[in-house]
Amino acid sequence: MTLAIVIVIAAFLSLVLILRIAVSRSLQISVGANLPAQIQPIDVEAFRNLINPMEDDYLRRRLPASHFRQVRRARLRATSAYVRAAGRNAAVLVRIGESALSAGDPRIADAARALVNDALTLRRNATFALIGIHMALAWPNSGLAAAPVIDGYGRLSSSAMLLGRLQNPAVPVRLAAH
Amino acid sequence: MLQAHSFLWHYLWLAPHVLQLALAIVLCRRGLHKLFPVFLAYSIFEAIEEFTLYGMDVLPSVSGETFWRAFCVGLIIEGLITFTLIGELALHLLRPWPAVAKLGNQLIRGAGVVLVLLATLAAAYAPIDNPQNAIISRSHILQQTLYIVLSGLVLSLFLFAAYFKLSWNNFAFGIALGLGISSCEHLATWAVMANGGLSDKRHLLDMLNMATYHVCVLVWFYYLLVPERKRTKSAVPLPEHNLEIWNRELERLLQQ
Repeated sequence: MTLAIVIVIAAFLSLVLILRIAVSRSLQISVGANLPAQIQPIDVEAFRNLINPMEDDYLRRRLPASHFRQVRRARLRATSAYVRAAGRNAAVLVRIGESALSAGDPRIADAARALVNDALTLRRNATFALIGIHMALAWPNSGLAAAPVIDGYGRLSSSAMLLGRLQNPAVPVRLAAH
Repeated sequence: MLQAHSFLWHYLWLAPHVLQLALAIVLCRRGLHKLFPVFLAYSIFEAIEEFTLYGMDVLPSVSGETFWRAFCVGLIIEGLITFTLIGELALHLLRPWPAVAKLGNQLIRGAGVVLVLLATLAAAYAPIDNPQNAIISRSHILQQTLYIVLSGLVLSLFLFAAYFKLSWNNFAFGIALGLGISSCEHLATWAVMANGGLSDKRHLLDMLNMATYHVCVLVWFYYLLVPERKRTKSAVPLPEHNLEIWNRELERLLQQ
């Protein structure tokens, strides 16, 4: 009977999770207008600095091994906070993009589809980067590949700007320098 | 009222499957059978299977052994159709988004492999409580095995969609929700039966299964008949200040 009890508990928890996700889906539909407020701006330059391998090399050369590991862990924790914020922003942008998908204007719908795809790519890369960061926290001397996150964030900014421009043509949004 | 062969018992066995046939008709009339062909096949097969089993149960000429053999055969076919249905739901969820389609397929396949291993392990530890009626115990274990994999796969789909904030087509979501509720509840009851629990109250577990399935068919009807709510009346505008910040950061990024 122990096995039955374990399975019953697992089934109950699965049911609760499924119902919770279903309820949160309904709530998401009704609170869509508050989405932009959930976006957390990221200092991309500071983020780039944190994941720059040359900075790590410099610190490795300059600091004693034990001190380097300490500093590296602190930098990894900060990187993790940035990656989490990027992942959360990507999730918000997925929802913003999805809300614009049904727009009558095909240009807006195309821009929204591109935004959702870029945001999904970023969220996926952020997830892999977080796994890498947690592994690097255990082995601070190993390398870290968070570059796809920062590149994805740049691409996502372009997609978001394009959609923003199409939705609000009156608002002057500067494009990146060419 | 809660006894086997009571009016409620007959109603709960037959009514959901009559509704399922009606659901199949509505699906075809609305042209949704082209979008959800496996769900249509599932609904029709479920109805035919349950009507056949009901007929075999009430006919005195059919032996218990024959009934349970037919039950097992039906269960295996139902399992194959249901797994294909999960594939159909995954396709609806992932196809529009190539960025996560491959990852989603790999994760769901991986979850399937792990679940099959877990289900096999659980089946190996389940007792055969009455060797003379081993077919009954085996069919309970088969049910438990099927629902471990099924509920796990549906849960994986829900978790994947929730993590990536993917939106489902309204009816696809309804199918997944009904399937999720039904498979989790069935898993719990069949696990109790497969492991020899509540042996004198099995008719209550049967009724719970039938009542839950009835609710799930109503859920499918609800999502089929009620029009999809739009996310917002108009597209959510992007915040200007954030766009400016992103713009600045992007400029810096490109100038480096």
